[in-house]
Amino acid sequence: MKAFEYATAHSTDSARELVAGNGAYLAGGNDLLGLLKEYLVSANILVNIKSLPGLDKIERGENFWTIGSLVTVAQIENDGEIKKLFPGLHDAASEVASQQIRNVATVGGNLAQHSRCWYFRHRDTVCLKKDGDLCYARNGENRYHSLFTGNDCISPVVSSVATIFTSLDATAIVLRDGKETRMSMAELYQRAWENPLAHNSLNHGDLIVRVEIPTARSRSAYLQASDKHAFDWALVSCAAAAEIVDGKLKSPRVAVGSISPVPHQVEAANSFLDGKILDDATAAQAADMILQDAKPLEHNAYKVPLAHALIRRTLLKLKGDA
Amino acid sequence: MSSWPAETKYISHSTARIDAPAKVTGRARYSSDIQAEGWLYGMILRSKWPAAKIVSVNLDKAWQIPGIKAAVVARDGSFNIRFYGEEIAAVAGTSKQVCLDALRAIEVQALVRHEFVVNENEARKPDAAQVWDGTPNAPATPHVRENGSVDTAFPECAAVIEGFYTTPVQIHNPMETHGNTVSWTDDGVTAWSSTQGISSVRDGLAGALQLDHSQVRVITEYMGGGFGAKFGAGAEGALAAKLSKEAKAPVRLMLTRFDQALAVGNRPSSFQKIKMGALADGTLHAFEAENYGTAGIGGGADAGGGGGGADIPMPYIYKVPNTRVKQAAVAVNAGSARAFRAPGNPPASFGMESAMDDLAVKLGMDPLDLRLKNDPNKIRQREYKLGAEKFGWKDKYQKPGGSPGLVKTGIGCAGAAWPAGGGTRNTQGEATVNPDGSIEFRLGVQDIGTGTRTVIAVVAAEMLGLKPGQITVRVGDTNFPPGPGSGGSTTCPSISPTVFYICTKALQQLQAQSGLADARGENWFAACKKLGVSPLVVHGQWERGLSADHACGVQFAEVEVDTETGLVTVKKILGVHDCGLIINKITLESQINGGIIMGMGYALYEERVMDDLSGVVLNPNFETYKMPGMADVPEIEIVLINMPERGVIGIGEPATVPTAGAIANAIANAIGVRVSSLPITPAKILAALGKVPPSVNA
Repeated sequence: MKAFEYATAHSTDSARELVAGNGAYLAGGNDLLGLLKEYLVSANILVNIKSLPGLDKIERGENFWTIGSLVTVAQIENDGEIKKLFPGLHDAASEVASQQIRNVATVGGNLAQHSRCWYFRHRDTVCLKKDGDLCYARNGENRYHSLFTGNDCISPVVSSVATIFTSLDATAIVLRDGKETRMSMAELYQRAWENPLAHNSLNHGDLIVRVEIPTARSRSAYLQASDKHAFDWALVSCAAAAEIVDGKLKSPRVAVGSISPVPHQVEAANSFLDGKILDDATAAQAADMILQDAKPLEHNAYKVPLAHALIRRTLLKLKGDA
Repeated sequence: MSSWPAETKYISHSTARIDAPAKVTGRARYSSDIQAEGWLYGMILRSKWPAAKIVSVNLDKAWQIPGIKAAVVARDGSFNIRFYGEEIAAVAGTSKQVCLDALRAIEVQALVRHEFVVNENEARKPDAAQVWDGTPNAPATPHVRENGSVDTAFPECAAVIEGFYTTPVQIHNPMETHGNTVSWTDDGVTAWSSTQGISSVRDGLAGALQLDHSQVRVITEYMGGGFGAKFGAGAEGALAAKLSKEAKAPVRLMLTRFDQALAVGNRPSSFQKIKMGALADGTLHAFEAENYGTAGIGGGADAGGGGGGADIPMPYIYKVPNTRVKQAAVAVNAGSARAFRAPGNPPASFGMESAMDDLAVKLGMDPLDLRLKNDPNKIRQREYKLGAEKFGWKDKYQKPGGSPGLVKTGIGCAGAAWPAGGGTRNTQGEATVNPDGSIEFRLGVQDIGTGTRTVIAVVAAEMLGLKPGQITVRVGDTNFPPGPGSGGSTTCPSISPTVFYICTKALQQLQAQSGLADARGENWFAACKKLGVSPLVVHGQWERGLSADHACGVQFAEVEVDTETGLVTVKKILGVHDCGLIINKITLESQINGGIIMGMGYALYEERVMDDLSGVVLNPNFETYKMPGMADVPEIEIVLINMPERGVIGIGEPATVPTAGAIANAIANAIGVRVSSLPITPAKILAALGKVPPSVNA
């Protein structure tokens, strides 16, 4: 990696000042260090934000919970109340990478992580995402890539935490130019849908400080499918959250990960599910709606039936059947 | 004629590794741990192009980086690059970071060739870019072997199947990467190598550096795995030596995982088109196959084609009276193949054992019965019967796809052979028996990780009536009497007889000198004391009679397949293996465990993925070059057949041979359709089940 300075910030203001220019925030470092070592990004200064006060807390509220951006994935996984109140969040956290990585990975870093596309990550290919001329994956090795995209790049979002946050309708609070900005998960990733160079909607210097999760949905579920049984990326992930009143879904949200640059959701499917009693046929119909515009490529068409199965299973898990 | 003792205390029992404490406490020094006085880091600049002509390499700017002590080119003058990752230059410096900086500063002038090919199927086409200029990538005519008459035999068959079974290029990924620390002084060269052959590294380095063999010493105290790709010093060893000479300091050049995926050898791919027929009673009658695969740039121009050897034994372990087998390797712009645990056998086993099960389905036979009907080997027959009993085959077996529900279970089996695995006559060793009763063995063999020191201690303890812990063992130094390379499953059958003869000789001399009729056991110390002040030094070497070759083995697999997600969970593997006289049960079982886990990786996860457009290896890391983790590994049960009458035989290769075939067959049995391409990923399972929609043109 290239030489850089290192500083520890003790306030968000000083963090923002330090990172201005060509700096990068450093929390768990799982993504950043890999990017630096492969010369995929460069930074003249790494600003350690782990000492920022108050960002490593999980705060329990009646209407919503607040999770600080420095809360580790392991903290979420090990929080007994989260397991009860947001079981889908617990399950998503426990599927992240390995125990060692979960111990240091932060919620903010997980949400902001960059593409895992193997062309992007390769030191000797200059793809669209690296300001090159073409997406190699589109006509190349695209088994891990998107079924949906709004631009020529088909690198998918891989954050499983983002998938479950989307279904829980969580809001990221981002410090931008000294002011707090609220972003839905859809908004947090929207730019990646449009712009191949982006992996989220954050500007340089923006800092995710916390995430608010409404408690309105007492049911949540998360499932992912991978090639291997542990420490492997999801081929497809799926999250669903809702309330169930008199056996009927209320305010359901379904999100699918690793098939689009954004956590994939179809409002029509959410509306369709609202007020329904969940059964196999209803779940399958929702899955059809969620996947109907998929554009499978040469090697990733298997993601369509896989996502279909996961959507159905996640919904049924929501109900407590599976 | 000598023979192994009939009653044993240690041989065929279990002795924990004598070097286990050193390993678990970190005292054991692996090659990558060596820190010779004043050592420097070494790193290699590799080609970022799959094909190019290097016009010039300017190292000036590398030299200007503070901390850089040496910079050398891989080859003088102008030269051709034929694969992504080929060596161009190397540097040595005081830290890893200065080396990285220096590599980026090197100026390479190259004529980039846009004509290259990394895909076997593309490379076979007549208009494909040529890997070796003026030489077709594949020979015009394949190698053909023919027996009987397949053309008349097929019409006589009651059932005929055809299949296309494919296996990927598998990358060598031992825990410790390839590499050496090399110190080149006026006195000669010392190399601390991560190698499975200290003698072959010594000879290779001496040749490359134009030194006498006596001027090169190779030391391998501990190394982290080899599997066939670590017999030579490699380009990285020669470069480390050049750097050391220039820097006048030892240079440690261990490859990175990235390097490892490109240039240290791999298992060739195979594309096996098989047609096979049997008579109504299941007797195999006709076999016809065409196979091609790539050994990368291979050896070049082999048999009229550019690819090195990628042939596999067909029809593997079975005898078919009428056969026609055509094989041809095809060159591609990728790193060349090297020996890889049981070269040729795992792909051959996967293809043939898959075909056997497909044929069993066609015949309406239990696939185990089809094997019992056709396997010509008596030991495997015995192993199949024993294994079937243990495994509960008859109770578990259902017709393919017969398992109910979304998550289906299935079972499969496959057989292994390894024609080598015997002792090698160039194995020597010596022992010093001291008057205080201590004894030290010195053998110029190395421990590839299988427990070589422990084998020596176990045999010596048995022969001398001592405990394994009382035996001091030194290996891994070319200053010791020469030993075999640790490959071909030959180490144990080479060193066990050698130690036997050293002990026999030591006892004879000790008894003669001490006057004691039997110097073993409780008499040992008294006998040694009579040596007075000078130790007894005896030399011995391998002789025929105490070892043999041709180990067999069969494995059974039970899997669960989620037919909606395609996830395969291996529930159980049962391995029934033989290797003649078992020396040390616990390390033997460990080796079989490793073979099975490696075979699982081959079956389900491992695959080198190359990009047609850029020619790079896309998965030069453990993130996307997937290997089994603990969560993937099933219950493994090992049943050993001890056959002292055969002598000692190696087990390294046969242990990994049948795993992929057994798992593939279990999957086919579970879901009722065949996935005929390794690795068997969720994507391929869903495709085989007909669940995958057509793709949209990009």
